[in-house]
Amino acid sequence: MKSHDLLLVLTGTVIEEDSLTLGQLCRACGVHADWIISLVEEGIIEPQGEDMRLWRFSGASLVRARTALRIQRDLEVNLAGIALVLDLMEELESLRTKMKTLGHV
Amino acid sequence: MQYKDYYKIMGLSRDASKDEIKRAYRKLARKYHPDVSKEKDAEAKFKELGEAYEVLKDPEKRAAYDQLGAHWKAGQDFRPPPNWNEGFEFKGGGFTGGDAGAFSDFFEQLFGHAGFGAANRSQYGFHARGQDSHAKIYIDLEDSFHGATRNISLSTPEINSQGQVQLKHRSLNIKIPKGIKAGQHIRLAGQGNPGAGEGQSGDLFLEIAFNNHPLFRIVESDVYLDLPVTPWEAALGGKIKVPTPEGSVDLKIPPNSRQGSKLRLSGRGLPAQVPGDFYVVLQIALPPANTEKAKAVYQKMHEELDFNPRQSLGVYQQ
Repeated sequence: MKSHDLLLVLTGTVIEEDSLTLGQLCRACGVHADWIISLVEEGIIEPQGEDMRLWRFSGASLVRARTALRIQRDLEVNLAGIALVLDLMEELESLRTKMKTLGHV
Repeated sequence: MQYKDYYKIMGLSRDASKDEIKRAYRKLARKYHPDVSKEKDAEAKFKELGEAYEVLKDPEKRAAYDQLGAHWKAGQDFRPPPNWNEGFEFKGGGFTGGDAGAFSDFFEQLFGHAGFGAANRSQYGFHARGQDSHAKIYIDLEDSFHGATRNISLSTPEINSQGQVQLKHRSLNIKIPKGIKAGQHIRLAGQGNPGAGEGQSGDLFLEIAFNNHPLFRIVESDVYLDLPVTPWEAALGGKIKVPTPEGSVDLKIPPNSRQGSKLRLSGRGLPAQVPGDFYVVLQIALPPANTEKAKAVYQKMHEELDFNPRQSLGVYQQ
């Protein structure tokens, strides 16, 4: 690494809750808007805002959408199945967190 | 280069049918999928599986692979025989699906690189924004408390001028903003994959996760500490020194505290927009009865205290 590399510090923006637009989410996942819309219709991700043009997605939606994409691609699960998988995964995660707070790691 | 036994990876015999291959893939994919698997090395195993399936599901590739013969052992040093693939034509480069950057040298040697041709497109005035890329980074609890600058290394598959996929390593210094939580994202504009032609680079999304801390547990914005206390501290109450991520504080233990009691220090969790809380969970430690004196004290408690922890069990015996 050259010395000037050390000096260069990048400052990013933190994605606050409900800040991603439909376009940004599509780009972040590398998918077409239709696919994101079908996730919303299936209730897999839930944006704030009524109108599609005003939709705002959270960072958690980004994680869910990308996980959905991988599950669909790798395991050929349909959208209803993906919704079920994601909900169960989240429940498992919250149980694990609960165990952690109780000290059973 | 090491020989890879694709049949062994998928747990199949060499005469497995197409349906058997598909079934084996589905079953193992569910087992090793990095999103759902808790297996060790799930990601590496899943990649290996994807590669094996890529070859065995395709009759042409499978036939070519089978032609190498059955006498090879996994991990054995391997050179493909000259003209080994004569008469086989692999349409559209080696890849039909899967994660282009992830396949092994063994696979590439046999079936070639992915031919994306993206590098040539710019000649025809093709411009496209680069893809956004993603990475998960692990930071320390202290980084969120004070804010920090962290050096991260990333490896990304990139397509070179020959249209081949290569892993490119780079390191970045990034600012960790104060109060960031696990699961939040930092977006770095223009640090994703390069665009085609004059297209802009994509963005880089970093998902934050915390390293395990020797003392503290983090849940959302709250920080937990298991605090060992003596039976008399718990019973009589008292002031004790407690470590927090921002230095030690004096904590007042109320009298008659019980095992597992939670004491809250409001606003002393992660310094997020809405700051989290700091929780102290009392763990009562018993002094060992390993001296005459200690035994005498326990004996005295036995004689003096009318205490039955098993009252609710309905069995009472001395």
